[in-house]
Amino acid sequence: MIVEMRGVEKRYGDVQALAGVDLAVAPGEVVGFLGPNGAGKTTSIRVMLGLTAPTRGEARLFGGAPDRREARGRVGVMLQESGVPTSLRVREVVALFAHYYPYALPVAEVLARAGLEDKAEALVSALSGGQRQRLYFALAIVGDPDLLFLDEPTVALDVEGRRAFWRQVVGFVELGKTVLFTTHHLAEADAVAQRLVVIDKGRIIAEGTPSEVKRRVAARTVRFRAPLDVAALAARPQVQRVDAEPGGLTAVYTSEPEGLLRELFAEGAELRDLTVTDADLEAAFVALTGERGVAA
Amino acid sequence: MTRAVSRVSDGAAERGADRVPERRLSASARPSGGALALLLAQVRAEFVSSLRAPDFVIGVVAIPVLLFLMFGPPNARWTLPEGTRISTMMMPGFGAFGILSLVLFAFGVEIAQERGKGWLRLMRATPVPAWVYLGGKLAMSVLFAIVTLLALFAAGAAFAQVRLEALQWLQVFGVLLAGGVALAPMGFALGFLARPRAASTIGNLVFLPLSFASGFFFPLSQLPAFLRDLAPFLPTYHYGRLIWSSFAPAADITAYTGIEPTGTLVSVGWLVGTFVGFSLLAGWAYRRDRRRDEG
Repeated sequence: MIVEMRGVEKRYGDVQALAGVDLAVAPGEVVGFLGPNGAGKTTSIRVMLGLTAPTRGEARLFGGAPDRREARGRVGVMLQESGVPTSLRVREVVALFAHYYPYALPVAEVLARAGLEDKAEALVSALSGGQRQRLYFALAIVGDPDLLFLDEPTVALDVEGRRAFWRQVVGFVELGKTVLFTTHHLAEADAVAQRLVVIDKGRIIAEGTPSEVKRRVAARTVRFRAPLDVAALAARPQVQRVDAEPGGLTAVYTSEPEGLLRELFAEGAELRDLTVTDADLEAAFVALTGERGVAA
Repeated sequence: MTRAVSRVSDGAAERGADRVPERRLSASARPSGGALALLLAQVRAEFVSSLRAPDFVIGVVAIPVLLFLMFGPPNARWTLPEGTRISTMMMPGFGAFGILSLVLFAFGVEIAQERGKGWLRLMRATPVPAWVYLGGKLAMSVLFAIVTLLALFAAGAAFAQVRLEALQWLQVFGVLLAGGVALAPMGFALGFLARPRAASTIGNLVFLPLSFASGFFFPLSQLPAFLRDLAPFLPTYHYGRLIWSSFAPAADITAYTGIEPTGTLVSVGWLVGTFVGFSLLAGWAYRRDRRRDEG
């Protein structure tokens, strides 16, 4: 296993950031860590990287302590709230970082993989937010790591930037590398990850392929207009969650839409504007964590 | 380094060992070449990035030279009892001033600000040990110190009638540099203790009074008496004393400072104590910062 966490707990004062996390990541996997802010995603990454020691339990990276230099030399990271010296040029920063690792990719290749060829001579201070994010990606891959940790890598990017970013990541995965990323953009986790780990309040609450995660929870969203009592709907056994949406629509998250609708029709309910859709991850996520407003 | 693994049983280690995935190097990956190349790259990056910050170059190199050019030449006609010119005493004083500014600003304030920007956080996730970062800063500062001193010495010889024997030039140069290295941990401590935004203010608050009270600008003998009482308790005063001792007769130093000599060994002791004390403080502050960063 490349990453292993066994019974990892992490406590910051009174706050239990991780409450017993078990996880194993095999070579070549692309694993998405999904959860609302404060769920424990970043703490998990920091424990796996050996930047934070767990209060209890054990984390292993490449079969040993995560903070040993040998392990660090095989890992590339994009952290939140990191910075680079702003009075260096892009090429200079990448070339410097290449020296930090035992093996390095040629600077020109790294710049090409990160889409920064035409910014090679630009000062870091002159980069836009998106370009800076690409520079962090370049720094993460310059050591030719076996494992990439990306903590909320697309948070500063627009839709087009995100798409381009994930193309670069996929290009790196094709080299046989392993990627572990966190996000609260559910759609991109769905599109990129082979395996999803849903974390909330410091616990893993669901794990599997994106389609498994979706199946396990509210697989369908049923929407309609009807004068039905929301609380009574939510109390039905097939229903995971009910939302009153703007515009008078009622959204019901359920894994058994057919049974639910059969019952409602049998009771004589009049449902207007009825639609049944595949739950997107967001809906799955809402049903799992019981929280709203997770996605940006 | 804190061990992130709380406890690894032998069984787990063995199980882990035979499952450790092999290194998957890309075809284009190359070994990055040794500790020396790394250190050189770090120093070069520090140097280049400092050169691009004009306020830094002006503050560190130009200001001591300009101040000396203002105050040195007019004082060249005055001599001390044993014949040392006042301007000759002032020249290394401004050198010490410049080196103190390197210590406090190139180390202290820069480190605090880079901490704030998260560069250190990113470096900590790489295999690079912390000494590479600090070593790079130290080497860069020594380079800038050399440039500053050479410019200052040239200005002294050309405009302020500073005349020293070759050996004396070398000695004053060496003492200025070595003493600067002894003071360097003050900068490291400031860098890891101060909050990033406060660092510059704290640096200035320490730097100017300390330079003044150590007699780097004006002879202590011309300053209020309480400063002469205070000076022997400042490591920077002993730094100045050692610098002047490297070329001037003891009687001239006493006349210039208005303070009776306490002996070279005492001054060396002060600098060694400063080095050790602030190294310990800086180490503690570094670990505290890392712990905070770890949460």
